[in-house]
Amino acid sequence: MKTNLKYRKVAAIGAGMTQFRRRVLDTPQEMAWEASRKALDEAGLELKDIDCVVIGSAPDAFDGVHMKGEYLAHGAGGIGKPVSRVYVGGATGVMTAISGWYHVASGMCKKVLAVAEEKMSPGRPHPQAVFRYIWDPITEKPLNPNLIWIFAMEMHRYMFVNKVSKEEIALVSVKNKRNASNNPYAQLGGEITVDDVLRSEVLVWPVQLLDVSPVSDGAAAMVFVDGDIARRYTDIPIWVEGVGWTLDNTSWPGRELAYPRYLENAARMAYTIAGIERPQKEIDVVEPYDPFDYKELHHLEGLLLARKGEAPLLLKEGYFDRDGEIPSSPSGGLLGVGNPIAAAGLMKVISIYWQLKGTAGKMQVKKPVHTGVAQAWGDLMQASTVIVMRN
Amino acid sequence: MEVDRYVYTLGIDGETFMQGLKQGKIIGRKCPKCGRVYVPPRMYCEDCFIENKDYIEVHEPYLDSYTVIHYDNRGARLEPLTIGLVRFKGVSGGLLALVDGKPEIGRKVEIESFDIPLRVKVV
Repeated sequence: MKTNLKYRKVAAIGAGMTQFRRRVLDTPQEMAWEASRKALDEAGLELKDIDCVVIGSAPDAFDGVHMKGEYLAHGAGGIGKPVSRVYVGGATGVMTAISGWYHVASGMCKKVLAVAEEKMSPGRPHPQAVFRYIWDPITEKPLNPNLIWIFAMEMHRYMFVNKVSKEEIALVSVKNKRNASNNPYAQLGGEITVDDVLRSEVLVWPVQLLDVSPVSDGAAAMVFVDGDIARRYTDIPIWVEGVGWTLDNTSWPGRELAYPRYLENAARMAYTIAGIERPQKEIDVVEPYDPFDYKELHHLEGLLLARKGEAPLLLKEGYFDRDGEIPSSPSGGLLGVGNPIAAAGLMKVISIYWQLKGTAGKMQVKKPVHTGVAQAWGDLMQASTVIVMRN
Repeated sequence: MEVDRYVYTLGIDGETFMQGLKQGKIIGRKCPKCGRVYVPPRMYCEDCFIENKDYIEVHEPYLDSYTVIHYDNRGARLEPLTIGLVRFKGVSGGLLALVDGKPEIGRKVEIESFDIPLRVKVV
């Protein structure tokens, strides 16, 4: 990856979210508006100041409305402006921020509104059913799989290769739901125990009910501006210092499932741009994507914040706690805050933005933080997006 | 889209609109800044990007445009069916309606049934 790229500096100056909940009355457009309005208010901007709009959403089929970028445009403030939609499965939320970044970094726009929305609850009996046609039509489709199946296989492989127990993985769920109880936007915060996780219903072994994030509706939005004007609007611009994204092959059965190489590639790209050489020393706070508890550990390793197989040990020692060395998912993550796919990814970026700005309230981590990383992941365990920010 | 079914919500303003229909009213909502009236009502103004304010009943429906349908989506022949785009005086936004009577652009219509779709009669 080239590092002598010529691009404009980009700062985040505002963010907003709806509360994540299941079966909200609001339409997707109303949710997008609420998040966008809050982001503009925090930035001190009006819609007329915004040059272009980026919309992120996962499959149209979640909301049950086709062409969702177009559908959301008026709620996301896109009317009469250049609008683009990004979609890389579960990795979409962070890609929305990355796309906001390159609209400014390229010099094309000075002020960008990036909006992500997902309403998971209209699809019945379960939104998982929308994934029927993402499989290889010959070798996989006849089994009628769903994503939880293959993530269960990934989890099992991770446990086997690294000799990790269910108890050790359950600690992620315990930590994140506890962190979420400090988050006013969270759907499922609370105090649970490892035993609660181990006794919860088995969905697809080894995935049990409390190993997985809930079905949620929600929206999130951020404002990114050109570095030269950022200080006109805020005393504390948060700089986007590095971005990375990758897509691995769809032939997931041919890959080693115990380690997310696609994420390592994305992380290395983002770290190179940000000038980070020793991630574990230089990164102060992280929001890895955690739709399942094992995924947080898997992703901490892919982000090079732990050696392969080492994340469970560090977790047990409190390394990733809110008052630990590298607090991980201080927001409560998807396990605690909820998982409206694209919005959940952007929520991760917003969480880091608020931590670096020092406005995370009860979520604020104990130690001073200067460099933070947010990450998302999706598709057939193949897509990853990473963003590095500094204050 | 392969889920069995979708359960959509009306949204905040959608609820108000449907309540209005039940009472034989067409409800809109007005932006306090630019004065634009949205029908059906909308929570926010897409231009001013602020929350819309008062719900108001709108009046004086007229035909903004219409079409006559001879085939359905599957290509089957239909009894010709007139569909109109109905607007209201001084309001931006419109509603689709089944049209009785001889249609003409700009003509006033009378709402015969307050439903989705509306049924209107050219007067």
